[in-house]
Amino acid sequence: MKRKVLSIVICLCMVFAVACSKDKTTSGSGTTNKEKKSETETSTNTKNQAKSKTSKVYLITMDQMDQHWVNVDAGCRKAVGELSNIDYEWLAPDVKDDAKQIECINNAVAGGANVILLAANGPDAVTSALKEAEAAGVKIIYVDSAAAYPAIQTLATDNEAAGKTAGEEMVKGLKAAGKTEGKIGIVNVNSATASCVAREKGFRSAFEGTSFELLETQYGEGDAAKSKDIAANYITSGCVGLFGANEGSTVGIGIAIQEAGDTVIGVGFDKSDTILELINGGHLLCTMAQNPDVMGYEGMKTAAKAIAGEDTGEANIDTGVTALTKN
Amino acid sequence: MDKIGKQNRIKRILAVRGMGQVITVTIGLIILCIVFSIVNPIFFSGKNIANLLRQIAPILIIGIGQSYVLITGNIDLSIGSVIGMSCMISATMMTKGVNPWAAVFVTFICCLAAGVLNGELVSRCKLPPFIATLGTMTIARGIAQIVNNNYNTGSIGEAAKGFRNFFYYGKTAGIYNAIWITIVLWIVFNFLLSKTRTGRHIYAIGSNVDAARLSGVNVHSTTIKVYVVSAICACTVGLMTCATTGMGTMDAGNGYEMYAVAASVIGGVSTLGGQGILLGTVVGASIWGVLQNGLQFAGAPVAIRNITIGIIVVVSVLLDVVVRTGKHRKKAN
Amino acid sequence: MDKYIVELEHVSKSFPGVLALNDVDFRLKSGEVLALLGENGAGKSTLVKILSGVYTKDSGTIKIYDQVVDNMNTKKAEELGIAIIHQELNLCAHLTVAQNIFLGREIIGYGMLSARKMNAEAKKILTSLNIDIDPEMIVGDMSVSKQQMVEIAKALSTNAKILIMDEPTSALTAKEIEDLFLIINKLKKEGCGIVYISHRLEELEHIVDRVTILRDGQYINSMNFKDTSLPEIISNMVGRDIKEKFPRVTCKRGKKILEVRKLNAGRMVRNINFDLYEGEIVGIAGLMGAGRTETTRAIFGVDPKASGEIILDGKAIKIEKPMDAISQGIVLVPEDRKKDGLCTKLSIRENIALPNLDIICKKAGIINSKIEKEMANNTVSDLKIKLPNVEVNAGSLSGGNQQKVVVGKWLRRKSRVVIFDEPTRGIDVAAKVEIYNLMNNLKQQGIGVLFVSSELPEILGISDRIIVMCDGKITGELNVEEATQDIILQYATSFDKKIDDNILHK
Repeated sequence: MKRKVLSIVICLCMVFAVACSKDKTTSGSGTTNKEKKSETETSTNTKNQAKSKTSKVYLITMDQMDQHWVNVDAGCRKAVGELSNIDYEWLAPDVKDDAKQIECINNAVAGGANVILLAANGPDAVTSALKEAEAAGVKIIYVDSAAAYPAIQTLATDNEAAGKTAGEEMVKGLKAAGKTEGKIGIVNVNSATASCVAREKGFRSAFEGTSFELLETQYGEGDAAKSKDIAANYITSGCVGLFGANEGSTVGIGIAIQEAGDTVIGVGFDKSDTILELINGGHLLCTMAQNPDVMGYEGMKTAAKAIAGEDTGEANIDTGVTALTKN
Repeated sequence: MDKIGKQNRIKRILAVRGMGQVITVTIGLIILCIVFSIVNPIFFSGKNIANLLRQIAPILIIGIGQSYVLITGNIDLSIGSVIGMSCMISATMMTKGVNPWAAVFVTFICCLAAGVLNGELVSRCKLPPFIATLGTMTIARGIAQIVNNNYNTGSIGEAAKGFRNFFYYGKTAGIYNAIWITIVLWIVFNFLLSKTRTGRHIYAIGSNVDAARLSGVNVHSTTIKVYVVSAICACTVGLMTCATTGMGTMDAGNGYEMYAVAASVIGGVSTLGGQGILLGTVVGASIWGVLQNGLQFAGAPVAIRNITIGIIVVVSVLLDVVVRTGKHRKKAN
Repeated sequence: MDKYIVELEHVSKSFPGVLALNDVDFRLKSGEVLALLGENGAGKSTLVKILSGVYTKDSGTIKIYDQVVDNMNTKKAEELGIAIIHQELNLCAHLTVAQNIFLGREIIGYGMLSARKMNAEAKKILTSLNIDIDPEMIVGDMSVSKQQMVEIAKALSTNAKILIMDEPTSALTAKEIEDLFLIINKLKKEGCGIVYISHRLEELEHIVDRVTILRDGQYINSMNFKDTSLPEIISNMVGRDIKEKFPRVTCKRGKKILEVRKLNAGRMVRNINFDLYEGEIVGIAGLMGAGRTETTRAIFGVDPKASGEIILDGKAIKIEKPMDAISQGIVLVPEDRKKDGLCTKLSIRENIALPNLDIICKKAGIINSKIEKEMANNTVSDLKIKLPNVEVNAGSLSGGNQQKVVVGKWLRRKSRVVIFDEPTRGIDVAAKVEIYNLMNNLKQQGIGVLFVSSELPEILGISDRIIVMCDGKITGELNVEEATQDIILQYATSFDKKIDDNILHK
């Protein structure tokens, strides 16, 4: 009896804790009381949409922990601060997962969203959820990664182009070091996340026509420590160049190169304190810094325009990458 | 007389319960190493072996912790999250200018608390270990996120160079510090498990908790002890991760509890409790590390990797079950 | 030598729904063996668990050596020199004999376990009790009777002066029982007081000085053994005179139901051949370890057999798993009812339904709860099983009632052969009679009854034919009219000669 009571109490605590962390991060599994409340809200919402004072905008990203999304969220908040009458909410699953992201989309719709800013985990999995959302009157804007479904606007890095640029930078760097052939190792996140897959595609395309050998990609889940082990193994195999497809992977290859004595050229993605340190220390050649805050800021501005019925501009906005090298 | 004495000693060592499984998997490990070396000779180079041992280190450490818990018949699912919590707490403090060793101390205390919480939930509140540690797993991961306001930390800076060398990058007498740390931890915890009263009680609880209780074993305090050991191991690996990356990542250790279970089970620790030796965990963690490392050198695509690893885990557990039931049948006749 | 070392006065204890002990008095002298007798559910187990500190009494006083003891617990009991040898073995199967003996009081040297000292001490204890076991053997690899001896050694290693033995001989061989009685006599001379719980009433005269009888949680009587007789003891236990201990019915022998030919299944089942006819009960006698249980399990298909034929009603049938046997009409009531006979965590209703789901379920495999409930209730009333209702867990019933559930679930099917393995072990007298009547009933219906038992009076009292096994082989087969305990025991001890006499004379 005591056991059962305690199990129930613990479960309630977990639900409560999840509900409490509403302000910054809300897990994809949602909370029961929120859904109950919003069911009555949705019906009143659609009635008052034209006349309502506040509009609900949801940001749905791939997970909550990658710094990239935290920066997108920061961009959104900045815009919300400058706009008025926006009720803003950030939803994301705890791990990169298509099914969990669909749940988030559904929760946003049930919560009375007017606009959803979405960073789609994969291009196809979420399309039916988006169809339903649109049918419920929700407007869709893509940030960082688009899905294969028409939306108002996509604000993203052209991942494939950015990957190609990264590859070209590496070829340049290798030539400068006097190497025209050798093995190249790729540390990616997983085989499903569209943005990373596109980056790898772009990277590989930059090596067509060269005499470099691109090895079988290894996946480190974006975990810096795992990526470091993978990179170290690549270095032991005699790789002359390494590519990291996201922030965690890039940190991993950077510290591996640092430990091995900087004889390897490393190119990565995303920007963070540690990555900048690694570049300045000469352990990484450069990183493709995206502009997640721009995605969030401009995306929110577009959302406000869409709500007000104004012209939202181009369908595709390339938020650009900057190749950050040693300054 | 001496020959008989030697034979008896060998017999005695072989008779230790679980040794059979350890020997089987050691042979498997040797075969794996040979195969990988043939496929890609770089696998066997000095540089890779040093790297490989350091890659095995964290798996072995958490394997030790998980083995302790498994032998009592329980399980600890919170290991991965405690790693993340440990990484984040220490890194956050260091980026704010706190002395690295003070940060280590505070982190240690926090992880001890997690271990005690696990023990109390399982033993006093009688929650099934699966549920209890699932709860602490979520809480610890949440703490890892809150500590730095849902941001990964920045670099822990130059001041932490000594810390980073101690836990990961430095070498002592030609061998990485991380490996020394693992060796020391293994020696200490193996001694505790095999040569002290507490260790004996751990096996007794896993074998027959009622008999243990009736014989005056303090089941409650022993349970807390094993969860504390597991938390200490997870804390160490978290500190190692912080030292490796030079920053705190909120998703550090994600999923590592399962590697710890795999290493233990491959090494002959039974998930039903009462059986298994830490020597086996060494072999189990080594097999895990060798697979991750060797398959990369063999150029295997990801799908093949996952399937191979899964098959090996299943086979090693099956082997143990088959051999044990076989032995029992022989005895019955 | 005539002091009371244990005095329990007005002790009561209740559990949810059951008043286990009601104002019970109990006294034990030093240097005596006191038999604590009573039917199952009489409160013997509860009483000794209170004495050894496992349970706390609700009311009453406990006096040990004339000192009142409050808040008795296991540690205190151990300090006072009280040790209990349980009926269910409480050993850690993964640990060695020495490790089990010293569990909770390990010998430490320099902060480390001193394995050498513990092994040596354990060997000393075992040898002083004339038990030939290697202290470094793993308990889980040993036979049940050897485990029982380890349990005894463990209890005695604490230098206990008050010893409680709960069915100590149930798993022992005859020689081990002899050794045990020698030990008990030695302890008596040293001034120990021994509480002896057993259902084997015939054993008592060899070892017991006094008896105390409980019935339905109440104290009935205490007598010196030589001043009383078994019938008097029995009638005190059940509250009525039992005229006949073994209800025997005579039937005419019909046709052959079962033929077992050249059955071999390892060392314990070697070249077994026998027949079973309608209208008779065949008892299988022998010592522990003779291979009787193994034979029944081989017939039922639980254990694989190396070779052998089973012929049922003239047709050879293939039995490779229990389902084969069950569908042909051969069912087994196993020896270890808690482990093999019941799902102790499931309710009575579910246990009774389990092998009969084909009868209970409707077409799509859905359980018809009405039929299920009816079946359970019918079984309970037919066999007069004592329980609050059919929803309680099977594990909470007393031994006798559990056994009735095990038997009852088979009786719902039309079986051809019912095999009983130690059907009345650990069961009170009244319930035993009911089981005997049951077997007679089956006999009269023309169903073949095979039963394994270690209680010779029972074998002689119920069987029509007796098969004696020793060391895996059948060593004797006789009709009950020509059988006596001596002859059976002779057959049961006809082991294969191990040492050649000629060599000895060299």
